[in-house]
Parts: sequence; structure tokens; C-alpha cells
Amino acid sequence: MFKKLFIANRGEVAVRVARTARAMGIRVVGAVSSADRGASWTAALDELVGVGSGPPRESYLQQERLVQAAVQTGCTALHPGWGFLAENARFAALVEAHGVAFVGPAPRAMDLMGLKTPAKRAARAAGLATIPGSDGPLRDEAEALRVARDIGFPVMVKADAGGGGRGMRLVHREADFAAAWHAASSEALAAFGDGACYLEKYVERGRHIEVQVLGDRHGRAVHLWERECSVQRKHQKLVEESCAPCLSDAERERVGALAANLARSIGYAGAGTVEFLRAADGAIYFMEMNTRLQVEHPVTEERLGLDLVRLQLEVAANRPLPASLSAVKPTGHAIEARVNAEDPARGFAPSPGVLARFDIPLGLGPGRVRLDTHVAAGDEVPPYYDSLLAKVVAVGATRAEAIETLARCLSGARIEGLATTIPVHLAVLGSAEFRAGDYDTGSIPGWKE
Amino acid sequence: MAHVKVVPIGSPREMALDATARLKNRAALLEKEARLAERRAKVQAGWGPTYVDRVHQKGKLTARERIELLRDEGSDLFEVGTFANWGRAFGKLESPAAGVVTVFARIHARWCVVIANDNTVASGSWWPRTPEKIERAQEMARRLRLPVVYLVDCSGLYLPEQSQSFPGATGAGHIFKMNALLSFEGVPQIAGVFGDCIAGGGYMPIISDRVYMTEGAYMVIAGAALIKGAKSQELSSLDIGGPEVHVHASGCADARAPDDETALALIRADVARLPSSGADYHRGGVDAAPPFHEAQDIDGLFPSDHRHTWSVEEVLARLVDRSLFKEFLPARGREIVCGVARVGGLWTGFIANRQGVVEDAEARDGAKPAGILYREGIAKTAAFSRACEADGIPIVWLQDIAGFDIGLEAERLGLLGYGSSLIYANSTNKVPMYSVLLRKASGAGYYAMAGLPYDPIVQLATPLTRLSVMEGRTLAIATYRTKLDANFEIATDDPEERAKLEQAMQDTEARIEGDMDPYKAASQLDIDEIVRLSELRPWLVALVEMAYQSIGHRTVKNPRIWSLHDLDALVEPR
Repeated sequence: MFKKLFIANRGEVAVRVARTARAMGIRVVGAVSSADRGASWTAALDELVGVGSGPPRESYLQQERLVQAAVQTGCTALHPGWGFLAENARFAALVEAHGVAFVGPAPRAMDLMGLKTPAKRAARAAGLATIPGSDGPLRDEAEALRVARDIGFPVMVKADAGGGGRGMRLVHREADFAAAWHAASSEALAAFGDGACYLEKYVERGRHIEVQVLGDRHGRAVHLWERECSVQRKHQKLVEESCAPCLSDAERERVGALAANLARSIGYAGAGTVEFLRAADGAIYFMEMNTRLQVEHPVTEERLGLDLVRLQLEVAANRPLPASLSAVKPTGHAIEARVNAEDPARGFAPSPGVLARFDIPLGLGPGRVRLDTHVAAGDEVPPYYDSLLAKVVAVGATRAEAIETLARCLSGARIEGLATTIPVHLAVLGSAEFRAGDYDTGSIPGWKE
Repeated sequence: MAHVKVVPIGSPREMALDATARLKNRAALLEKEARLAERRAKVQAGWGPTYVDRVHQKGKLTARERIELLRDEGSDLFEVGTFANWGRAFGKLESPAAGVVTVFARIHARWCVVIANDNTVASGSWWPRTPEKIERAQEMARRLRLPVVYLVDCSGLYLPEQSQSFPGATGAGHIFKMNALLSFEGVPQIAGVFGDCIAGGGYMPIISDRVYMTEGAYMVIAGAALIKGAKSQELSSLDIGGPEVHVHASGCADARAPDDETALALIRADVARLPSSGADYHRGGVDAAPPFHEAQDIDGLFPSDHRHTWSVEEVLARLVDRSLFKEFLPARGREIVCGVARVGGLWTGFIANRQGVVEDAEARDGAKPAGILYREGIAKTAAFSRACEADGIPIVWLQDIAGFDIGLEAERLGLLGYGSSLIYANSTNKVPMYSVLLRKASGAGYYAMAGLPYDPIVQLATPLTRLSVMEGRTLAIATYRTKLDANFEIATDDPEERAKLEQAMQDTEARIEGDMDPYKAASQLDIDEIVRLSELRPWLVALVEMAYQSIGHRTVKNPRIWSLHDLDALVEPR
């Protein structure tokens, strides 16, 4: 096993990865920006290397500097965490070229899954259904309209080079199609230099399902069951849980097998997540694959009693997956709340500042609580980074018990000095829709902005 | 140091060049590339639809249709010698592509050289330069150890011009010598005989390991027209040398096929029996990947005026995998870039001229113009070329070179000697070398950077290429130097004489300008192919993969034992 690991990440991510590495007897070197220098969470690391100033572009996204730091400190592996460079194939190639093992899939897999059209083709080839639409980008309005009629309205027009909602238009009626097409296309041209757009059937009242997969470098891949993340605000997940309330046991088995199939068919090595959308009519479509560990991975870990970071490191060291892995059966129910330093009363605006108080009670029952955080009272939350303060994961024998546990814990939490999203979590957990499992990605159950 | 520590090279499109310059460059280039496309289409049409129809009426396919069936579906073809005999007429006749199609094609995932007589151009007969073109393709196959597929449909020499293509060292007979050498060196050759193959057309397939004949095909030393009594006995050429004779009686062919399609399927099946490519083994677990900076963007990087400069880093960034590159001896001889990168996942050496002005502590003003070879650059290039040879790393030469440095200082430093050492290295290299004439390829610089006289396996040019001993302006100066002052200005006060001299110098310049046209060089086979700038990356991917396809015939060291690392070790700060 590697003796020294470099973590090209910060905050909660660095703390989470370091915890496992140190438990395995691996020394941990962390990258820190000048804004993070002296932060309490850096105590979780054995060594620190300054990689630049506060803005990520000047530090946590400085590829060559990170690789140099890893080489100079004698690290033999690099964990990218999630966010920043975790899905950057060129960075992975650069790391490997310097003799440092990249804890993640091969760059080729990132390339493949990073592009919408090739990813969907690979998924279809592996037997996964994709949302009906054009196979790849279209340039011609007349052709686009033909495809739109074919798949039926409402349809979504999306820029092929897109992201962040730009170059995206929802069209309900054929009469509005031409205008929407031109708007999306010219927006995409302005933003990305490429006006090509593709079409997708718009799935109403969809539920977000994702399956944790894990492959090794010897051709084996398994799924580690699903999570549901339908409580979202503008594609930002707020609450994640497992098992998914919207799936039957048969569906659960089926999406799991499909996700494992996809991982196997592309020779995927490492931890990844295959995302699906479940339509109101029960159809389940492949959305995309994230070629990294997810923020919400503790939900899976708590139900299965596994340490995914440990498995990632073992795969990176070329160990075969343990044979017992596919026999691991999930138990109970786990729910995670992402507590962000954001002000829900002000449109979820970032709320940086100094934490005057930071208490989250873990022992209020009825189930147990896992707390993943990197902050403590007295810390300053810098403005440059992700606003996540803590992930609170409640585990109960049943969903109701997990909800009750999480609600008690968050009600008892005392965080002062800045605004957090806890009021939203409490509203969700208390709502009848959430408890009944009757909601979708379109709105937050129990919360009105 | 076993790791080849490649690092990011180049910058995003918007930073590489401002939008105005980029669009202007691109517009000027696209004009030239449109002409290239038009001329390619003209060549590929052969003698046109009438002759295509004639071939079809005989129940046969054209040469290009045969190649389509031969190649792996969806794979790209890389044609060489497209412009052979371009702009040249024989009487009233033209010979597009010199009447033979030579391409690199993938068959069952193996690169092969396909040589197909163009049966829409004078029944596939051999024109002046056709033998040389065929021999050049055979030589490419010999050097790379690629299987050769001959699609023979050739009525022999085009006799009205026989004196140009028969007796010389590279005359038609040399094709059969190349057949023999390929066989001698163990390079697989497979032939399909598809039509009237008379004399030379009859000899060409025979040395091949497998020979297939279609029912309508014959091979003869001489056709029925020249055989006494053939007429009275009603003997046709098919009776004399068809499959009945050659497959069953003489054994000069191995098997018969009912039609073109079947013959091609049989050839494909033979190629599938050959060993598979070694390329994937040599990738060492690293997958091929596109450049990080869009390969297509290369078409905006070259200024329309050949005197203006471009950035070698930005060009390399658009040719190599993930735009990751490792430069050797970067601080010395900065007028030249020597480095390695993966191309299609396979290690490739690059030697490229830097443009503009480079720092040089020893030069006046601490800087000197690049695009020229100086002592350090020459020495670095020679050391890098030798190291690539020792390590088995194929070399890609990217030329935009005005020549050697000249003057008292250059001679005192012994550039003639350093240049000769480089020439010796390149001349004795066995490792595959490919030269690309990006723009200027002038004077001894063209030689020193492995121009065609130094046997690169393939030499590519772009629509921007200017190939010459010296630029027209320089030649005009050299010609009229007695009438010029020390600054090369016309030294006369007589307005009439001045006007005459100006005109004469302009004429010289214009004539050389015309001679530097890449189509002229391609017509003479001095350039193997003119390609669009955006086609360079796919060409390099294919050529490098070919260099790694056949195992066992050349050195391919793993990076652990590269001598190249020594260059690094010796200049690393202690």
C-alpha cells in the first residue's frame, strides 16, 4: 500500500480522505491555499504544502503546482477528492506521468463520461435506457423540429457544450419551438463558441436516483446500491438518502445491475456514480456518470458498513476488489443533510463569516448520527470555496426512524455567527410530502421561497 | 528516470492568439485549403464519369471503390502521392495521380499500404513517374514493415512515353525489385488481379505471398495482340493467361474469385491472419487521447504572411495527446524545440523550429532571430536525433526554417561541421522519421531537418509550404549583388538603370515564388502529400501507430532505459 498520500483538495473533503488514510497507516500531505493556512481542519493532515492564494484558480486548480508538491513531498498517490480537479482527465494523466498513482478511474473513462453524447452512447450499448432525444447535437432547426415531434413535447433544448443552465430552454408547445431553439443556440454560441444543441424529452416530476459503483483494474465491477437525491434546489442536492423511497425492491435490483453493467462495459476502475432519472410513469433513464466519489457517499457507507475511500485506495494500488463485496447487504435507512453556510431567507446567498458557535448534538436518538465536518467554533469560513459546513447523516432501522433522528439532531444544533440551511432541512423533514415520499426534483417539499 | 514527466503546453484558443488575428489567419488558410480540396477532388475523379462507367460496364469496380471495400468500415484512408504528375500533360493527356492510388488503409485493425492501379486512367497503365510513385509506397511499407496489398489492373507501360519510365534506375522494372526486397525482408505482400494485366502489370503480382484472380482477369507477358497465330486460333488474352491457366496450370496465382467483391473479401481474410498490431502493447496501459487544446484550432495559428511568426508551443499543443509535452534541453539552442509526447498514446519525438526572437546571452542585445539554425540548436538536434534513434522513438520534424546562420561568426564556430554531424545522424537513423514542411523549408535547413533527401518515411506539406534553396528575394540579391550596396539597396543614381534593375529583381522573385508552390514539389514526388493543417494530427496519429505496428524489426525501448534521460540528467541543476 502507498506510504504517503497527497490530497489535492481542502476542507471537509481533505478531512474525510485523511481520516481513512491515516487509519490505514498512510501519511497524509495536504495542499493548502494561503486562505486556508492555519484553519483548524488542517490538523487532520500530517504535512502541508502551500499551493497559492485563496481563489481556487490560484491554488487548488493549479495542476502543475499540485503535482510538483506531491512529487517533492515523496507522495506515491494523489487523491483528488470531489470537486476541483477530481474529474479532470488531463490532470489525472499528468499525475500518472509523474509516477504518482491517481486515486480515480483511468483518464479515458473520465473523457468518455465527461461528454454527453459519447456517455449516452456507451450507456445505451450497456443496455441502459436514455431519455428519448436526438443522438448527438443538431445544427439545423428543421431537423430539430422533426426530432421534437418524434419524441413529443415538452422537450428540452440543451447546448452540447453547455453547463450551468446556459443554452437551455424548456419548450411545451410546438408553436414556441423555433424561438426557443434560436435563443438556446445563440446563447450557446455566445457562451461556448458553439451553437450546436441537442434535444431531450422533458421528464416531468422526475426523481433523482444514483447508484454507487466500484470497479477494479482487473475487469471486475459491482454496484453498492442506490441513493435518492430528489430534494434539490436548482440542481444542488439538499437531502440524500438510501434506500430510495421511490423504488420498489425489483427496481432497486434492476438499476443496480444496470449501473454495474455500464461500469464493467467501459472497464471502469475506482468509485463512481451512475445517475438516473425516474419519470412519474416509472420509466428509469440514464442521466450521466460521475467519475469520482460523491459528496453524499457516507449515506452508502452507513448502510453497508464499508469505507469507500479505503476501497478506492486499494483499487488504485491494483488490488482486486474483495470477493465478499457483492454479498454485502444494506441494512436500515440513512439520510444525509448538507448543512451549508447559506442564507435561505436571502435566496440561499453564501454566508461566510466566523463561527461563533458550532454544536451539533449526536446522541439524541432514536437512531445514530454520523457527522462529517471540518469546522469548529471560532473558525472563519472563507468566501472562496464551497459553502458546505457539515454533512449530518442519520441512520435508523426504518426511514421514519432515520427522519426522526435527523430532525432531533438538527433541531438541537446551535450554529451561530452565520446563516445555515438547517431551517430548510427541518422544513423538509417535517413536511407530509417528504414523509410520504411524494415529491420530485422540481420543488423542495415543505419549503416555499 | 523512468518517468517521462510531460507537462501542459499551450494555452486556450482565446489566449493563444487574439480573435482578430486568428480569424484573419483562418480565412487566408481556408482559401488555400479550398483550393486543395478542389484539386484533390479533381485528381480523385480520374478521367471522369465516362471511364468510371466503362469500368462498371465490364462488371468491375474502380480502384477507389475497391479500396473502400478493403478498408475497415469507418476508418480513415491516408493517401500519398495524390498530386503526382499534377499540372503535367503528355500530349493532350493528363495522368491524375500518375494513374495509381497509393494509400495507408486499416484492414482488420492493421495498417497496410494499398497500391491500386487506377483503371479509370488509361486502363491503369504506367506513366512517367508512376513507377517511382509505386516504389515510394513500397519503400514506405518496407521501412515500416507494413503488409502491402496490390490491386492490380494494369495494361503495362503507357508506351508513347516509354523512354521516360522504362530504362532508368527507378524505371518500371525496379517495382519488381522492390517486390523482391519486400519478400526478402519478410514483409507480407498480397495481390488481387482484377483485369488486363499485361507485361509489367503481369509481373507485379507474382512475387506476392498470395495472388487472387477474378474470373475476368489475366496476367500475360504479352497479350493476344502480339502472339502469332492467336487470331486464327481465336485465342484471347484471357485464354492465354486467365485463371484457368494461372491458378490451375502454371501456379502463378493461388485462387480464383468470381468477382471483385469476393477477391477483396479473400484479401481481407488474409490480412486478418497476420499478427495484430504491437501499438497497444507499446502504449503501456496509457490510452490514446485527443489534444486538450482543440486540434482543429491549429488552422488559426499561422499568419497569412510567411514573414510573420507563430508559436511553436501552441502548434505542438494541438498535435499531442492531452497537450502534454516534455521538452529536452529547453534552455539551450532555443531556436529549436526538441521533446517527446504521446501521439495516439505512443511516444513520439518532435523537433520543431521556434519562430520569432529567442533569448541568447551570447548574442548582441541578448537575443537573435529564430527560424534559423545556430550552433547550439544544431548540436541539440543532433543529440536528440541520436537519442531517439538509440531509444526507438519515431521522430516528427516540424519545419519552418530559413536556413543556417551565416557570416564570419558562423564559420568560425564551425557550423559546417556541426551541420554535417547532424546530417550524419539523420542519414544513419533507422528509427522511423517523418518530416512535415509546415511553412518554409529553405536551403540547408531543409536538409539538416531531415527533408526528403534524408529519407524520412513520409514527407508532408501544407498549403502554406514554401520549398526552396533560397527565397526569391534572397536569390534576386545574390544574382544582382554587384549592383547593390552593403545594405542590398540598388546602388545607382541613373533612374533608367534603377528601374530596369528593380524589374529584373522582381522577375527573379516572382519566378522563384512560383517554383516554391507545394503542388509543383508534389507533382515531382518531392512531397508525399499536401494536407490541411487540421489533418496533421490524424496523420501523425496514423503514422506513429504504423511505426509501432510491427514488432521485432526495430528497437523500441521502454522509457526506463531511454538514453534520452541522460540529456536531462546532465543539465539538471545539482
